[in-house]
Amino acid sequence: MAAPVTNRSIRAALGFALLFCAAAVVRCPAQLDPWEFEVYPYSTTPRGMAEFETDNASVVDGHAAGGEGTASGTVRSQGMWYNSYEVSYGLTDRIEAAFYLNMAQPGGSGLQWAGDKVRLRGRLFDQETLPVDVGWYLELEWHKTPQFDDAVRELEFRPILEKDVGRLSIMANPKFEKVLAGVGHEQGVEFGYVAGLHYRWERSLSPGLEFYGGSGLIDHADPVGKQQHYVFPTVWGELPGGLEYDVGLGYGLTRGSDHLIFKFNLELERFVGAILKASPDNGWLF
Amino acid sequence: MNGKYLIIISLLPIVVGMADPEIKDKGLEIRFENHQFSPQTLTVPAGTALQITVLNLSRERIEFESFRLNREKVVEPGGSVIVKLPALRAGSYDFFDDFHADVPEGTIIAK
Repeated sequence: MAAPVTNRSIRAALGFALLFCAAAVVRCPAQLDPWEFEVYPYSTTPRGMAEFETDNASVVDGHAAGGEGTASGTVRSQGMWYNSYEVSYGLTDRIEAAFYLNMAQPGGSGLQWAGDKVRLRGRLFDQETLPVDVGWYLELEWHKTPQFDDAVRELEFRPILEKDVGRLSIMANPKFEKVLAGVGHEQGVEFGYVAGLHYRWERSLSPGLEFYGGSGLIDHADPVGKQQHYVFPTVWGELPGGLEYDVGLGYGLTRGSDHLIFKFNLELERFVGAILKASPDNGWLF
Repeated sequence: MNGKYLIIISLLPIVVGMADPEIKDKGLEIRFENHQFSPQTLTVPAGTALQITVLNLSRERIEFESFRLNREKVVEPGGSVIVKLPALRAGSYDFFDDFHADVPEGTIIAK
C-alpha cells in the first residue's frame, strides 16, 4: 500500500539524518516554545479556510526553580500549564497567516496572559515538485511577560521540510531565533528544532513520534546538560465533526529538560471565505 | 559548530537531489458533479509518478482529500486543481470530500 522506497527517498532521508546529527552536536541555549508542541507540515491552511486551535502542555514533572526546564522567566516549570489559542487563515493556496494568544497557569496560581505572536507560513511549489517538500515560517513574538519569558520581542524563521515515504511523513522544522528586545537582544541567533515522524494508520487514530529541543546560540551553544531535548510519542487523528487532536507525553532527555510533559492539542477547520484569488497550479510562492 | 555550516546543513535536504520527478501519466481525471465523484474508482499505474486533475463541475465548494496519500486541496465551483502523486505501490488509496461527509468516498487503485 505504501509508495516504494526510491533513490530520491533515500537521498532525502540522508539529508534529514545529517540535519539531526547537526542538531545533536551543535552548542546552543535551549530554545523551544512550550506553548506550541506542534510539528508543522509542508501543507498550509487552504485558501479561505480558518483554523481554530488550542495547544496545551502541562509540566507533570519539571523543575522547582524559575529559569530552568521550559520556564524562561521567574516562575518555576513544575506544575505549569501552557495554554495557547491560535487562529490561522489561508490567505492564498500557499500562504497562511496566524495570530496566537498565549496563557499560562503556574502551579497553584490562576491562568495568566503570557504574550502574543503573529506568523506567516507558506509552502513553495506544489507537492512532489521537489524531492523534499519545502515551506517557510516567519514569526514575531511580542508583549511577553517577564515572569514567563525575559525576552520581550523575538523573531523566528524556520524552513519547513517534509518527505512522505508511503504512509510515513518525515518532517523537520529547524528554528533560527533572534531576540530583538529584552534579555538576550545583544546576542546572536539561537538554534532549535522541531521534528516529527507521523504514520498515517487510520484517520481517527494514528501514531507519531515528535522531537523538540534547542542547543542555544548558533556560535556559542550551552553545555549539553543545560540544553533541552524532548521526545514525544503521540497519537493524532480526526474525531467526528472534523475536530482534530494530537496528544502526547514528552520525555526530557537532558538534565536541563523538564522530565515529563503532557501535551494536548485540538483544532477545527472551517471555510470562512476567500479574499484572494486561487493560486496558479504552476506557481511557487503565492 | 560554526553557524554558517549549521544553516547549510539545515537546508541540505532541499538540495539533495533537486531533480523534478518525471511524471508519466498526466491524463488522469476525477470529476465532482451531482454531489459525487466520478469515477468512484480510479485505476492508475503503480510504480510511476502521477498527476491527477480534479474537476469540480458542481456549484458547491469541495475539498479533495486523501488521508493515505496526504493530499488536501480546495476546489472552487467550476474550478480544477492538479494533484501530483509519487510513484505508488500497488494497493488502494482513499479520497473524499472533506467539506461534505455525505459524499461517497472514492478509491484510487494502483496496479
